[in-house]
Amino acid sequence: MELVPILSAMRRNKVGAIIIVVQMAVTLAILCNALFIIEQRIAWSERPTGADERNVFVIINQWVGDPTNLPALLQADLAGLRALPGVIDAFASNSFLLSNGGWSYGVDLMPDQKESTAQAARYFTDEHGLQSLGLKLIAGRNFNADEIADLFGVNDQTPAVSVIITKALAEKLFPGKSALGQSVWIANHAANIIGIVDRLQVPWVDPSVAKFSDYSILEPFRYVASGLYYIVRTQPGQLEAVLKAAEKELFDLNRERVLGKSRSLTEARVEAYKDDRGLAVILGVVCAALLVITAFGIVGLTSYWVAQRRRQIGIRRALGATRHAIVRYFQTENLLIAGAGAAIGVALALSLNLWMVNAFAMQRLHGSYPLVGAIVVLILGQAAVLWPALKAASIPPELATRAA
Amino acid sequence: MLKMTHLSKAYRTEVVETFALRDFSIHVREGEFVAVTGPSGSGKTTFLTIAGLLEEFSGGEYQLDGANVRGLNDNQRSKLRNEKIGFIFQAFNLIADLNVQDNIDVPLRYRGFNGAERRRRIQEALGRVGLSARSRHYPAELSGGQQQRVAIARALAGSPRLLLADEPTGNLDTQMARGVMDLLEELHRDGATIVMVTHDPELAVRAQREVHIVDGQVVDMAPQPRLVEAAQAGS
Ligand SMILES: Nc1ncnc2c1ncn2[C@@H]1O[C@H](COP(=O)(O)OP(=O)(O)OP(=O)(O)O)[C@@H](O)[C@H]1O
Ligand SMILES: [Mg+2]
Repeated sequence: MELVPILSAMRRNKVGAIIIVVQMAVTLAILCNALFIIEQRIAWSERPTGADERNVFVIINQWVGDPTNLPALLQADLAGLRALPGVIDAFASNSFLLSNGGWSYGVDLMPDQKESTAQAARYFTDEHGLQSLGLKLIAGRNFNADEIADLFGVNDQTPAVSVIITKALAEKLFPGKSALGQSVWIANHAANIIGIVDRLQVPWVDPSVAKFSDYSILEPFRYVASGLYYIVRTQPGQLEAVLKAAEKELFDLNRERVLGKSRSLTEARVEAYKDDRGLAVILGVVCAALLVITAFGIVGLTSYWVAQRRRQIGIRRALGATRHAIVRYFQTENLLIAGAGAAIGVALALSLNLWMVNAFAMQRLHGSYPLVGAIVVLILGQAAVLWPALKAASIPPELATRAA
Repeated sequence: MLKMTHLSKAYRTEVVETFALRDFSIHVREGEFVAVTGPSGSGKTTFLTIAGLLEEFSGGEYQLDGANVRGLNDNQRSKLRNEKIGFIFQAFNLIADLNVQDNIDVPLRYRGFNGAERRRRIQEALGRVGLSARSRHYPAELSGGQQQRVAIARALAGSPRLLLADEPTGNLDTQMARGVMDLLEELHRDGATIVMVTHDPELAVRAQREVHIVDGQVVDMAPQPRLVEAAQAGS
């Protein structure tokens, strides 16, 4: 390796080298952080909800006018839906997964607690909820039919006496011990935990809910309101057909209603994370563009250097350099530049991340990102330098005797 | 040392084919100092580039140091060039980005010598040309004569079998030219084989033998007794 003479030759051509070092460093810093954000967003958008998403759909129901016999209408609808061929089960609720809208409250461990122990999402369900979502009960039991009460709309403050909570919430509330049979305080009313499900996400999808995204509570209420959601689970592969049949069945039962756009949870997920996907795509394109620009920068500068040093290269060839040695010269030179760029870039990437951690509550960058980024930048440099280096190697040695 | 027989070199452009050398034969023996003269465009530089393995030839035979060089690939030619030949150019051809010792170091690195060996050779070569004090100067900080002496040091440092010089004094004034010429003569006395192209009849007569090229052919290889005697007297 002829590091020392390459370095001293570079000292005399500083500006170009510095520009490329800076460009590579900035590329690396942005690349690392962008990839990290992309990875985070993808991971966020792929979290399991706990439900059998593929086979669950949601019908948005709104009664027209102000029917007085809402409980009877609701019971009729549910019976009709459950009787449809291909339906495993169905229930009515105030909120559904991935909808990005729902209810939440603070959960306490004692009455008159100042700061709630946890924030949690509320889902109302009768004894059919677990089956209809395909939730996995890991401790305790489901609600019995005789525990279910009617809850009338948004303003009904009836407290739940028994609840089913998620494992995540159970561990938060009662770390290290069993939550089953324990009491929690909600709006100064005690509720007994009778069951624990493995997982049930809150309905919101924004990363700001990350702290309690799996803290959900199921309450034993039939949600009797003029606007509500029917959540239906079908036999595998029958969702499309059953969804059509279900809408028809509801209209057959009663025409005095408006149905919103029904959707499967799969569709709801796509809709919910549209922005995250968009961001990932944009960042991906920016990264690709940056890499291309940096590569062109290297090709451009090295080509310029080759043109500038034609005579020198001819002399080196005359003095015994093989073509390979000329290629290696430019590769080594680029390695030094890219190495400096990578070192500065890693520092820059970590600083940029640190700033984002403070400014936007981003997560800390995992150490593997700068490492991978540095390798990418080094490989990019070597790839970009190859073509100009090969051109340099093709400069004939007789140039040394000819061109003056 | 260097033996060409019926060698030819044609340059092809799209329209014409010019023979820079034709039926060119020459034999330079070990330890000889040969001056090559001839009118401009006669093929002197072409002869030197082929002799120095910088270019391939079209026909004929060329033996360098007893080995036939016809058909060698680029790598083999580079290696031979590096080991056996020292070049001295009219335009010095130092690398401007490198200081004196790094310039001399260039062929030594390609040769694969280790650091200690390279330092020893650089010091020795610089001492030889009387520039030991300038090892860290850059070419731009030296006079033309000094630059050419650095180039000679670079050519010498690898202990080549053959020194090829193309108008080594062409860019120098008389004073500096004389200094360089004295140095070449001294190297010759110490046993170097030198082939020097020159326009200057005064320099040519200081060589042991003069070869005259016209139109790509050697026209006169008669030895010049006066100079042979002088060289013998000197050795
Ligand atoms: N690369 C080339 N392509 C085409 N023709 C060439 C090339 N190099 C040299 N020639 C031609 O070959 C002939 C010999 O050129 P060469 O440079 O050997 O002459 P020279 O004797 O060194 O001349 P001078 O004294 O001017 O340096 C000339 O006619 C020249 O035009
Ligand atoms: Mg010439």
